[in-house]
Amino acid sequence: MKQLAYSILLAALLAGCSGTPSKEAAIEDRGIKATEAASADGAKIVEAVETSAAAGVVPVSEAAGKSAEGVTTSGAATAPVSAKTGESVQTHGVVVPGSEAKPLVDGKSAASGEAKNAGAATEGKATAQEGATLPKPDAVPTWGDLKNPEHPLSKRRLLFDYDSAAIRDEYRPILEAHAQFMKANKEAKAILQGHADERGSREYNLALGQRRAESVFNAMNLLGVPDAQMEAVSFGEEKPVAEGHDETAWQQNRRTEILYQGE
Amino acid sequence: MTIEIVGGAANRIPVAILPFSITQAPGMPSGLHNPVEVVAGDLGRSGYFRVLDTTDVAVPPAEPRELQLPVWKSRGADAVVIGQIRPRGHDRIEVRFWLLDAVRQTQLTALVYTTTPEGLRTVAHKIADAVHLALLGEPGAYGGRIAYILKRNGRYELQVADADSQNAVTVTVSPEPLISPAWSPDGQRLAYVSFEDKKPVVYVQNLADGRRRAVAKFRGSNSAPAWSRDGRRLAVALSKDETSQIYLLDLLTGDAIRFTRGGALDTEPVFSPDGQWLYFTSDRGGSPQIYRASLATGAATRVTFEGSYNVSPALSPDGRTLAFVHRRDGRFHIAVMDLNSHQMQVLTETVHDESPSFAANGRMLLYATLVNDRGVLATVSVDGKVKQRLSQSGDLREPAWGP
Repeated sequence: MKQLAYSILLAALLAGCSGTPSKEAAIEDRGIKATEAASADGAKIVEAVETSAAAGVVPVSEAAGKSAEGVTTSGAATAPVSAKTGESVQTHGVVVPGSEAKPLVDGKSAASGEAKNAGAATEGKATAQEGATLPKPDAVPTWGDLKNPEHPLSKRRLLFDYDSAAIRDEYRPILEAHAQFMKANKEAKAILQGHADERGSREYNLALGQRRAESVFNAMNLLGVPDAQMEAVSFGEEKPVAEGHDETAWQQNRRTEILYQGE
Repeated sequence: MTIEIVGGAANRIPVAILPFSITQAPGMPSGLHNPVEVVAGDLGRSGYFRVLDTTDVAVPPAEPRELQLPVWKSRGADAVVIGQIRPRGHDRIEVRFWLLDAVRQTQLTALVYTTTPEGLRTVAHKIADAVHLALLGEPGAYGGRIAYILKRNGRYELQVADADSQNAVTVTVSPEPLISPAWSPDGQRLAYVSFEDKKPVVYVQNLADGRRRAVAKFRGSNSAPAWSRDGRRLAVALSKDETSQIYLLDLLTGDAIRFTRGGALDTEPVFSPDGQWLYFTSDRGGSPQIYRASLATGAATRVTFEGSYNVSPALSPDGRTLAFVHRRDGRFHIAVMDLNSHQMQVLTETVHDESPSFAANGRMLLYATLVNDRGVLATVSVDGKVKQRLSQSGDLREPAWGP
């Protein structure tokens, strides 16, 4: 459920990011003055003399509220404080409970109709015909299959050994299912999200997570999925699925997740 | 935030810091906090000084001739600090202080600062720095600022505070993780990594106006920013071409020039103070170790050899000491290495230590660790003798000591 909400949030985010970069729009400014002080090192040693070093410090001022879900930054207002447009908030995707996940990438969307059949078990023995013909619901894996717990496509998580990015044999069926899905649904774009356990440096763990994501990327690539349909990224140790501090938790956290833009 | 002293120097210098004399005169701003608290707090927590009780001083001396130095000598003080504050023009104040040697009955230092009432705390830290320098012969580290990430209520806050953890200001809030804040050399900007775009992206933010921009948002992951000495370039780890390689990013043009090559993981770059070298973490030798490469030629040599996990390099301002995270028996400690002798010393007993950074004086290190499963910040002197811990409700992590 959490996963679903997360996917929806991801969808909203990606939608917001897909056009012109709206980074600026995602920010609201609050005014807070930074403290600065000129050094007094130049001040003379005195009996009672006046060499002075200004320690100019500007007062703190507060302004403008901040968005509920977005990123808020603050600083001293050398420029006027301005709240950015409402668009910004949407860029950051407020999760609306119960809203349905829809693929956002395909405007024309042959698949969107099938996405509605989310519950219906369209067990696909996908033959992955890369044709111009409309996908055949019975044969080709669909967006709906991603949510069907009976379908291999619903499996999204690959676990890894400590300090390793080698894909275990047991995950081959999952990789093949996702490769078939992507070849059959050219508009599908996969985000391969690598993760690490909490031990050690956050940045090194980010690199380890990246290697795990890329190892899935390369495996899918070998199964015929074009580069342009995938992006490998890392969250390092920042998003554990298990909160414990033992090997049981760490094993769950060393993983790559297969997510789709627009889910 | 609260500060707890975990250790200290064997012989602390006894110092009496008297309340400053505040002149009651027309034009004097009201509500000034006597700087004695900040100065005494700084020096007392450092572990190098024993601060004597001066709360019984009813009428603080305004200048040295009003001070009974022998009295303070008999009370055990080696040194005495006195000071005065008086109005100076519109909305400004003048702060003077004197440091006196109670044993030899001489004056060691006297300085005067002009500031605004809001600047008084900053001046107090500078006075503590001046006292530290005069009595110990090396600069203090009380005047700097620190940046760190506070995780609370499911949100991530990038905060900036005085080195004593007071005056904390949140400069960025995000529902997604923030990591790796890095100060520009002039202390005006912070670079950091934000996951708000559902992947790591490097941002640079002006502290003065809060404005920021994404400076590295390439395909894949973008992380580990480090500033060049001139503040014009960032070294970053990017995965746009290959898993986690180091690039030099020109902040004006946005050009990213690849610096490391090969299939290994390269990350956590940091420039040497002389601008000649880039230190970084790499697993090219089979385990993560620290390497340094010439910025001119790119040729890299391995720096750390002891143990199978040495990461997160930080360099002292004089470029002579390397601090890093060292794993021993599955535990992560802060260690330092003298880059001339290659002698290594483990400084901490805590077991989840991360992200070391040097104070401007090069004598203290700030790092993150876990105490009772909660993230706290801690400092340790480079000789391992003096330790402090800063904690707050919520998780503290990713500290960086700035100018």
